Amino acid sequence: MDNAQQWALEDPTIGIIFVAASFVFFYFVGWYSARAAKTSTDYWTAGRSIGSITNGLGMASSYMSLATFMGVTALILKLKVPFVYMWIQFGLSIPLITLWYGTPLRRMGVFTPAQFVRERYGLKTSYMVALFMVLIMVMYAIGQMIGVAKVFEMLFGVNYTLALVCGGALIVGYVAIGGMYGTSYNAAFQMILMGVAFIVPLGAIMKAMGSSGWFFPPLLYADMVPAMLEAVPDFFDMKYGFKWYFALIPCLTIGAMGLPHLGMRVYTAQNLKSARGAMVWFTFFCGITFSATYAMGFSGVFFQATSGATIAPTDYDKITLILNGVYNPPWVLAFVIAGAIAAGLSTISANLMAIGALIAQDIVATIKPNLDEAKAKFLNYSAIAGGGVIAILIALNPPDFLVVSVLFAFGLAGVTVAPLVILGVWWKQANRYGAFAGTCISGLLYIAISPYIFPNFILAGGLPASLGMSGSLLCVPLCFFLVTTVSMITNRIPTLVNRIPHEEDKRLVDSIHGWTVYSEERYNSTMAGVIISAVSFFLVVYAILPSGW
Amino acid sequence: MNSAYKKEIRYTLLFSVLLLITGHCGLFFVAFPPLRGHMIFGFPSQFIVPVLMGWIGLMIVTGIQAKLTNDLDDEIEAMEDVVKES
Repeated sequence: MDNAQQWALEDPTIGIIFVAASFVFFYFVGWYSARAAKTSTDYWTAGRSIGSITNGLGMASSYMSLATFMGVTALILKLKVPFVYMWIQFGLSIPLITLWYGTPLRRMGVFTPAQFVRERYGLKTSYMVALFMVLIMVMYAIGQMIGVAKVFEMLFGVNYTLALVCGGALIVGYVAIGGMYGTSYNAAFQMILMGVAFIVPLGAIMKAMGSSGWFFPPLLYADMVPAMLEAVPDFFDMKYGFKWYFALIPCLTIGAMGLPHLGMRVYTAQNLKSARGAMVWFTFFCGITFSATYAMGFSGVFFQATSGATIAPTDYDKITLILNGVYNPPWVLAFVIAGAIAAGLSTISANLMAIGALIAQDIVATIKPNLDEAKAKFLNYSAIAGGGVIAILIALNPPDFLVVSVLFAFGLAGVTVAPLVILGVWWKQANRYGAFAGTCISGLLYIAISPYIFPNFILAGGLPASLGMSGSLLCVPLCFFLVTTVSMITNRIPTLVNRIPHEEDKRLVDSIHGWTVYSEERYNSTMAGVIISAVSFFLVVYAILPSGW
Repeated sequence: MNSAYKKEIRYTLLFSVLLLITGHCGLFFVAFPPLRGHMIFGFPSQFIVPVLMGWIGLMIVTGIQAKLTNDLDDEIEAMEDVVKES
């Protein structure tokens, strides 16, 4: 089959109308909701007023990127079931964030996890963490910008540069205007739009393919399994070794715990109970959309194997659009494209909010702490607009290492952010020396052993190295090991301990857990530190061993 | 150390383990190959069990987690009041 001709959009008019209407709506919501933002706190946390269902939708929406419509189905076509395993665990992010540090940080009233790092470990470490976070968010946002620009390119028939600049400017505009209020309500709407645009047309596709379970696409396609097994006998094979699957925990599960834009969703909640309610809603929305994604990927493989059509590898990421183009009328395809763009926008919005908050609150506001509200407001808008413009400029001609994979950015977050926040919240003995050494050494090592800097200095080849799985398996436990070990050693050297406000840092730990009366014994176990250090050391050795992938 | 603190630590560790099991239950199928290949609801077990655990199982665990940790917060608040008054 001639793919390039086959998969081009025949008539983009309806698509353009859908996309234009959705942008008008996003701007209206942004403008309308921003009127409620009176202070910087309101701007960055939506006045801590977002209810649990809206927040749950927003959480899921920040996670459902353009990859849901394009990248994931492409990778299922390529990797088959191992990729499904890789994706399933993403549902753990918000529950683990909420359990381990979301609610304590919400209680503390921070804007970003970097703000907690500043209070807990001091300015030097917080600047480093904030810079790592900005890099992570830029890597994340660029992938989405490029994806949205490519969809715009296809839809409007303009060149990539024009599509990127116009699309990017439209996105940055509505995010900057709306702040977290606008972003939250828009994200909730975008989640509904993308969910409906993904799942309902999938039902029609499955019905056309002959599945009797078309009325609930996420789970009811078992009657297609025998034909699939006949056509693609290895579809359900595990393919990789134990280490490959185990590495998903440090790389993607702990990695997602370090992503600032996910943590920030917890801080917008009305109260802690509402944040936990949002977490349950998140698992529902995430689960139904993820399961539908596997069904779409399954349908793509099934379509290719049973219809005689051949999809070129370069078109793998268009499988959702291809199936809709083949089995559904043009207006449905246009609706799916609007859903795909909404998915990209929701993630970019969350990324831009995180970049803006990091620049405005964690870097500029610490250098110039006494800005009046008018200047702070200007700084807020400028930080988001500046972050967006930088992302657009980089996306015009991105360096290879920045577009390799969003998943590589997850690993970097797992290495540089998550261990510091987790130990900082739960272990009083974690101190500023340990935090600085841990994040600095592990973060730089993670980047150095990736195939993008020194191609010959890598831990495991192929996919584990390029996605950051092998790097995370080494560097996440290394960070835990360094933070615990260096902290335990330096806490026993009086001259070093006297240089830092260690007692205040310890009191902060009690207060963010809700204790108003301080107790030295809480969260202060040396044995816990020794166990974490020993287990981490064992995992570092396990990561270095070459076999098992 | 009081019971609310111990409960907080216990819940955090317990729910971390439960969450990891729901999200990474595919690891059991990698570690124990005899678990694979059984058909459940028309799908091979190594596919449908992780998918269901990663959605329905996760929802159930987070629902219980939300309920118990909300109750614990109330307990800590009540306990702190007692401490402050004494």
